[in-house]
Amino acid sequence: MNLRRVAAVASKEWRETVRDRMFLLLAFLLPALWMLVFGYGLVLDVENIPFAVVDQDRSALSRDYLYRFFESRYFSFQGYLPSEREADALLQSGKIRAAIIVPEKFEDRLLAGQPVGIQTVIDGTFPLRTDITKGYVVAINSAFSEERLIDFFSRRSGISRPQAEVRVQPIKLEVRYLYNQEVRSTWSMVPALVMFALMLSSPLLTALGIVREKETGSIYNIYSSTVTRIEFLAGKLLPYVLISWVNAVVLWVMATLWFGVPFKGNLLFFLAASLVFVLSSTGIGLLVSLLVRTQIAALLVTVIVSILPTILYSGLTVPVSSLSPGSQIQAHLFPGMYYTNIVRGAFLKGVGPEVLWVDVLALAVYAVVLRIVGYQLFTKRPRS
Amino acid sequence: MKSLLGPGSQRAVIWWRRLVVMTRKEMLQLFRDVPIVVFLVYSFTLAVYITGNGLRSQLHNASLAVYDADHSISSRELIHKFQAPFFRLEGEITDPQESLRLLDRGKVMVVLEIPPRFHEQLVAGEPTAVQLLVDTTNSPQGLSAAGYAARIVARFGQETALARVGSSEESSQSLPVIESNHRVWYNPDQNEAWFEAISHLLRQITIFAILLPAAALVREKERGTVEQLLVSPLTPLQIMLPKVLSMTVVILCATAVGLFGIMQPVFGVPIKGSIVLFFGLTALFVFTTAGMGLAAATLVRNQAQVGMMTLLVVAPMLLLSGLTAPMEAMPEWVRHLMVLSPLRYFVEITYGILLKGAGLNILWDSVLAMAVLGAALFGFGMWRFRRQFE
Repeated sequence: MNLRRVAAVASKEWRETVRDRMFLLLAFLLPALWMLVFGYGLVLDVENIPFAVVDQDRSALSRDYLYRFFESRYFSFQGYLPSEREADALLQSGKIRAAIIVPEKFEDRLLAGQPVGIQTVIDGTFPLRTDITKGYVVAINSAFSEERLIDFFSRRSGISRPQAEVRVQPIKLEVRYLYNQEVRSTWSMVPALVMFALMLSSPLLTALGIVREKETGSIYNIYSSTVTRIEFLAGKLLPYVLISWVNAVVLWVMATLWFGVPFKGNLLFFLAASLVFVLSSTGIGLLVSLLVRTQIAALLVTVIVSILPTILYSGLTVPVSSLSPGSQIQAHLFPGMYYTNIVRGAFLKGVGPEVLWVDVLALAVYAVVLRIVGYQLFTKRPRS
Repeated sequence: MKSLLGPGSQRAVIWWRRLVVMTRKEMLQLFRDVPIVVFLVYSFTLAVYITGNGLRSQLHNASLAVYDADHSISSRELIHKFQAPFFRLEGEITDPQESLRLLDRGKVMVVLEIPPRFHEQLVAGEPTAVQLLVDTTNSPQGLSAAGYAARIVARFGQETALARVGSSEESSQSLPVIESNHRVWYNPDQNEAWFEAISHLLRQITIFAILLPAAALVREKERGTVEQLLVSPLTPLQIMLPKVLSMTVVILCATAVGLFGIMQPVFGVPIKGSIVLFFGLTALFVFTTAGMGLAAATLVRNQAQVGMMTLLVVAPMLLLSGLTAPMEAMPEWVRHLMVLSPLRYFVEITYGILLKGAGLNILWDSVLAMAVLGAALFGFGMWRFRRQFE
């Protein structure tokens, strides 16, 4: 391998990239812009669930009960409805996602020490939202029940409220949130977005850069030159690896300075791990570029093999442990997951190579394997 | 367009024939690109199957370790309540120091710590507390796990407390508590495969609809073949429209394969509403989304640029249109921004028709918004295209 020829290919590639102003701008703009949009915009919490109420009791106690829903930031009250039928129509049009039906004699029964059933109708189209809505309703219901019980016992048995409290709920659950004590969505989202932005932009950059030459035919200059296969691939990839790595640094700066996410780990380790990641993600672009002939195909294939697994299987939203075995295999076949572990670990947990070496190793193996496959697939003697 | 308004029907026939010929040309070009065909088939069949089968956005199998300092009946009983599908017990640890190490390494997400004398205190009716350590590097999931744990512990506590006093005095039949009854509509069994498979189908449609026509147009520009088309008797509309039409036909066929070949037989996704309406509106969605791609395509000069440009647009569309996270919790400005995302309307439309059995009388506002958006985008694209070449 002649390093001067590598440098020559790299500088040619670099110049071509730099001269295409729009392309260069987008190469740097894409990750940064996504970071801004998703850092602020992508909120995975389920809040402000629009709901309506059918209050058939209209008593002081039913208002007291419903007030808990009105006050909660998880719910957003849309209005009272005369009957269940109206609730159905609103659910169908998506104007509300839940309806709470308070039955008649709600107050009477509770004060008499009898149980009351509260009916909640929930829109089931989005299972995550349905499930979380259910959880919130149950939480509010049991808090209210607990208060009624305490009240009931202290009145009936003539014991003080704290005593009744122990009687009703003897076990306290003390929850400690680790790594992100205030459970801020931004803190958990922004580091993962570093992964997301790099994972999407760098393969596309690489694939388009290489296929462009194939499609326009300028690659024949390479075929007929003295540049060897490995020199060509090394030189060709260098600018894209560099751009992606610079992007990693830019994203790190945005995450720490702009979004104020704490970085508890070792910066040198993070940069090294990011380089390994960028090497493997550009490898995906390389592989795609060798399998297709046209830029349209490169674009489509890269987007499908990078954007969907990144959204679905990288741990960005759903933790890999929650996936079914088949999907877990898919997640492990994809570099995004390993880098998600690295960014979250380095930012929030403050762990370093002693814990994350497995992930770095997996990425390194990935990068090497992709390059070997790429090297084998690339030929200077095209068949057609 | 003038020819359409012309007196002779002959000219209209020619106009249409040209459109058909161009559409065929686009189809041929598309199907000759083998990788595209392979991925088209994969995306609408196998990928839908894998996602529907494997992806669960609810908390599942949160890995849990337990530090039990009590080792009593009560503690074991409580541990036993933490079970599938929400939690998966990874094992017991003997040293409290161990829990942080496991969390650091990401081996477990949650650690439950039960204090000594837990059982004793419970029996004596004294207050006691258990600790839960939660990894919140993924905050929604962490919160969700804590929420489930709280429910489990609260129920366990209440049950044991009431059992202690209840056996003598009262059964839960005569206590003033609220019983939560839920009725879940449109997906009563909470079958997540329905949601994930449909969502995946929508993502695929979006990607194909925005990328392919845009790239096809820019390719003509880049290679200069558009000049040939422009000196032919074709109008700009006859050049642009076939790119969308061919894609619409291809996507409708692929959607039919995905819907009737995978989603309905394998996952049992119901099709409650009108199937004609669904395909009609899918065509409208493809048209609108393609219009967005074409509008972007007129702003750039080569395919590499259009690739980056469409990706810039498509990523927010996929993540913020209500497929990954519900729209309600998103900040105000995102909701305003997503007025421009045709996918946002199509999400309402698709779930409305397939799961809720909604018709145009309910969905008309989404349909109208999408149509207006599509017309505006297509109009903008046409205007730019004409200005560039005439």
